[in-house]
Amino acid sequence: MQILKKQLLTLGAESAIYIVEYWGMTLALKWRPRKPYIHNEIDKLLRTSRTSRECKMLTFVRTLGVPTPAVHSVDIRNHLILMDFIEGQQFKQLVNTSSKKRITTLCHEFGKLLGIMHMSDIVHGDPTTSNAVVDMQSKMWLVDFGLAEKNATIEMKGVDMHLLRRAYETTHWALQETMLESTMEGYVEISGDDAEAVLSRADEIRERGRYH
Amino acid sequence: MSSEGKVLSNIWHMLSPVEGGIHPREASRHHSDIGPGIIKRSLEDAGVSHSDIQLVAFSRGPGLGPCLRTTATMARTLAQKLAVPLVGVNHCVAHIEIGCLESRFEDPVTVYVSGGNTQIIAFAGGRFRTFGETLDMALGNILDVFGRTIGMSFPAGPSIEHAAADGVEYHQLPYSVKGMDLSYSGMLTAAKKLHLEGVPVADICFSIQETAFGMLAEVAERAVAHTKKNEILLTGGVARNNRLTEILEGVAERHGASFHRVSPPLAGDQGAMIAWTGILQHQAGDELPISDSHVMPKWRTDEQDILWRCRF
Repeated sequence: MQILKKQLLTLGAESAIYIVEYWGMTLALKWRPRKPYIHNEIDKLLRTSRTSRECKMLTFVRTLGVPTPAVHSVDIRNHLILMDFIEGQQFKQLVNTSSKKRITTLCHEFGKLLGIMHMSDIVHGDPTTSNAVVDMQSKMWLVDFGLAEKNATIEMKGVDMHLLRRAYETTHWALQETMLESTMEGYVEISGDDAEAVLSRADEIRERGRYH
Repeated sequence: MSSEGKVLSNIWHMLSPVEGGIHPREASRHHSDIGPGIIKRSLEDAGVSHSDIQLVAFSRGPGLGPCLRTTATMARTLAQKLAVPLVGVNHCVAHIEIGCLESRFEDPVTVYVSGGNTQIIAFAGGRFRTFGETLDMALGNILDVFGRTIGMSFPAGPSIEHAAADGVEYHQLPYSVKGMDLSYSGMLTAAKKLHLEGVPVADICFSIQETAFGMLAEVAERAVAHTKKNEILLTGGVARNNRLTEILEGVAERHGASFHRVSPPLAGDQGAMIAWTGILQHQAGDELPISDSHVMPKWRTDEQDILWRCRF
């Protein structure tokens, strides 16, 4: 999987991920480097809180049955997390190469995973197709929990669903309706009657940005 | 505007209330009062006559309904009287296109920040799509409202930037980034509270700028990392701010992207951007019959097929 390694080595918006060999295992090292253009206090606070938050949330949501990479070690001072490396492909890339049926199945699963988290009052904070990885056995893993939050309100869950819809619109415009529909099916399957309040809040949030 | 993209004249006038903010009714009255004079002056400035006009473009939305209707009426009248085609332009798209004209950028991630808008827009799949935006107040609006609280006049952005230069101590304010969206209202409330507690104005202004611009930089950076585009365009009234520019330059440098801040005369709301986009649209075959030319106050950026950019 040379290609995957190369992709993961790319610099993201707030972190860089390296593939490392550690104790004979292939692991992922996530590093949040300093941003010299951001005020130092803000930058430090964000890097520290997100590193800490990500570790806790990766571990916590796994207990709910959401597949996430296991955390091996953390270095809060240097904003580093050493975790499992999930061998697979980003859901975002799979959308371009998979059959409609497979995409529908994956979206359904994505919706279910978000539903599981929301039922325990956890929001992901950045639920895009870049943050779901599908492994060789077609199992979906969620990653990137730096913006995740506990004790989530309906408003926070509504924002999560709004962001998901936005991601489909901007990145998978040609398939957005189908993808949204199957995701919602999966979401409602898990959250049942609780889904309605969240989804109507998501609609409301979408209308709030003044010019949409 | 000439069809080659030369700005022949670009006259604008902004409503500046003595106190309070912009009222839609007063704003539309302002438009109808000074509109005809502006059209006359711009023709004089450009050194052209009515008969030289080959196309009339107007801002069809998004915006305040009463204001859009006032200028749409003028545009329809002009187009009919001169017997030239009419084109309806999207305000947000126009900001991007005039910025591209000035910067010669081809396909940027645009950071559009003004009193009414805070959006990260990029071209994808035949349309301009909003990758991120504010979930509540616009950046310019936050600056204006805070400025008004401490007695600054409208628009308050420049005064806040000036005051922030003397700020020494950073006070932590709510930093709220949600995916590629952000939220500013919590920060405003906290800043007002600092003022009531007697924190020096310079320090609050400094803290507001660092926090608000830091959030904006982060969502812009997420959009750049996500779209892998290599140009960043800063536009809208708040593009005048030097600290914001410095931060976004840092983002661009980190991602190996070019950066351009649209110059003040073309960054704020003005006619040249509408005219230029109208020309691009018309060259791509677009024309709006008068009977269909109703305004669209809630026209989403991604609702328009961008025919003239199909080469991307």
